[in-house]
Amino acid sequence: MKNNAEISLDKTDYGFVGHFKAMASPCECLIESDEQKLALQLTQIAANEGWRIEKKFSRYLKGNPCDQINQSNGQPVAIDSETFQLLSFADACYQLSDGLFDITSGVLRRAWQFKPGAKFPDKEFIDSLLPLIGWKKVTFDENSVCLPPSMEIDFGGIGKEYAVDKAAQLVAEKAPEVSVVVNFGGDLRVTCPPKNKPRWQIGVDGKSGTTERAVSLSVGAVCTSGDTERFIMHEGKRYSHILNPKTGWPAKNAPKTVTVLADQCLQAGLLSTLAILNEENAESFLQEQGVQYHCYY
Amino acid sequence: MQLDTKKLATATKPKNVASALTAASLALLGSAAKAEGDFWDFSKDWKFNTGGLYYGEQDRVTAVEGVFNATREASYNDKFSFKLVLDSLTGASPNGAVAQTDIQTFTRPSGRGQFDVAAGEIPLDDTFRDTRVQMNAQWTTPRGEDKLVNYGLHFSKEYDYLSVALNGGMSWDFYNKNSTLSAGLSIAMDQFEPEGRIPYAFAAMVIDEGQFANQDAYNQAFDATRRIDSDDKDTTDLLLGWTQIINRRTVMQFNYSYSDVSGYLTDPFKVVSVVDAQGVAQEHLYESRPDNRTKHSFFWQTKYHMDNSIADLSVRYMTDDWEIDSVTLEYKHHFLWENNSYLEPQFRWYQQSAADFYTPYLIEGQVMPEFASADSRLGEFSAITLGLKYGWRTQGGSDMALRLSLYQQTAEDVLSSHPGDLASLDIYPELTAVFLQYTYDF
Repeated sequence: MKNNAEISLDKTDYGFVGHFKAMASPCECLIESDEQKLALQLTQIAANEGWRIEKKFSRYLKGNPCDQINQSNGQPVAIDSETFQLLSFADACYQLSDGLFDITSGVLRRAWQFKPGAKFPDKEFIDSLLPLIGWKKVTFDENSVCLPPSMEIDFGGIGKEYAVDKAAQLVAEKAPEVSVVVNFGGDLRVTCPPKNKPRWQIGVDGKSGTTERAVSLSVGAVCTSGDTERFIMHEGKRYSHILNPKTGWPAKNAPKTVTVLADQCLQAGLLSTLAILNEENAESFLQEQGVQYHCYY
Repeated sequence: MQLDTKKLATATKPKNVASALTAASLALLGSAAKAEGDFWDFSKDWKFNTGGLYYGEQDRVTAVEGVFNATREASYNDKFSFKLVLDSLTGASPNGAVAQTDIQTFTRPSGRGQFDVAAGEIPLDDTFRDTRVQMNAQWTTPRGEDKLVNYGLHFSKEYDYLSVALNGGMSWDFYNKNSTLSAGLSIAMDQFEPEGRIPYAFAAMVIDEGQFANQDAYNQAFDATRRIDSDDKDTTDLLLGWTQIINRRTVMQFNYSYSDVSGYLTDPFKVVSVVDAQGVAQEHLYESRPDNRTKHSFFWQTKYHMDNSIADLSVRYMTDDWEIDSVTLEYKHHFLWENNSYLEPQFRWYQQSAADFYTPYLIEGQVMPEFASADSRLGEFSAITLGLKYGWRTQGGSDMALRLSLYQQTAEDVLSSHPGDLASLDIYPELTAVFLQYTYDF
């Protein structure tokens, strides 16, 4: 694993903040408690859960269930119940979004790179990848999954959100009375309302200390999709790094970032991603969902 | 390509994905999930607060109040709160009649029985006794990006009084939540059916001093001063507020409120004495007030956070068409200590001018005014409150607080001279009261 299995703790005016790295993101636990020992325990619980889920479902790590499925070359692969549940959730997202959310769309990264100076791909290459995308070609049940040859699955769109929800759940079981913000690189969940203030004020871009784009919430989750730095400009249009699995093309004319507040991180994360895929209709999509959101253009 | 993506985008629009996702994510996170879960599941996510208040006026009214508050955060920013308040009032309060050099006899408001007031004393009606139940329900919920709306219902019942109110409001956040504009509307309907029924305006109090041949004759005379119906009043309140975060340490708030009350605004238990040229009371007339009152109130508050304390200064100016103008100046300083405890001294100064129809008594032979009341709460007075609040957190993590305040009210004479004996009597009641309040959050 490339992450240091290290955590650190700092004293703050509300209690403690624990830091660690997971899923290639800076992570933190804001803990409303003056008990240092408890704060350390809670940070460790959140970090362990983040690292566990990363190790099990990251597509970059060899030998884990995700890798086994991607290397299966059309053969059924045995799965455990957690993997089954995550696949079931991905399936629900695919159905609910009419295919706009598809965990088999990761192959498009072969064509698209969103870093400064990256080349704009040609249409033929993108079109050649489209037959490798399509969740409906995947079959799975409680015991096994079967993925057609050359296709790939990628839990990237839900893995971090899942990890935040699970970590928050474990933290809440350990200390049900303590308000903790579990924040994995800007996707976060508050376990219960804080006692010493009405709500937490948190920067949405994952950088602590930024108040420019902040949300306040007492309980629930916040997720942000899109990125102010990862995009590609082509013929005067701004292309987001979020790709439409049906066309192979990035969302364009969408808000730079979309932040959604919801009960769980999984829900907030998916709604913010789908909002960007709705491009210029992002806000009307979110309004119909009846959720609180912030769009930055 | 462009056309395709657009079509896809619109194809997903009509569905409500959010609610279906809740079910899917709950399935994934397992039933043990402490997900804030089902919005309408009122079995979880509660916070409670209880409190008790003792209010005691020297030689007068004593009130005991119990408050129970339950708040449920259904999800981020979605809040249900319920409040139950029980009040019990006992003791004596001034009935409006003027002090005399001789002993005085008054009829109780019910018409049954009398009470005597010693010479030189301000007449107090000692039958003041009431129990009140109040219930409040409030729902606050987000709308769109930066708005919160709230709806509320209020119900209050006393032995002879019923009040029902509805309210609604909205707040908007601007400039990254540094500014908040809020607006609210409340409409209340009160119904009043006092013991002994409502007296006619300026009817003279019937006092049995042996002049009646029998009980029936007295009853007939008493009933002649009473209306047979109940009465009511309607209140409309409008509030506009602006909260501004000035900097990391300073928050400022401005409020304007408008209140219009119409209907029966008279106090049916209060009288105005009519005195002769020697200052001797000839009779006591039930008071009469206008049936409408319009108030404007302006409020400014600034809180300044220092490193270990908060300074809180506020000023309120209120003016109404009864010509009562009042100013309230309040300063509180919140000292934060370690272990989540705090100490908060409070100083409040209040001053009001008298209502245009306020008079401590009427003089026989002079032209009767259209309205008159000798209720000292409508007179000119100033008041000072000194208080101290201490809050702490228990071992179990609950917050408790205790507040003790002393209140001293001093009346100003609204007349330049007084006839006869009244010149030497203390005719304006002074008021000293103590508040003791305890709150417990769990």
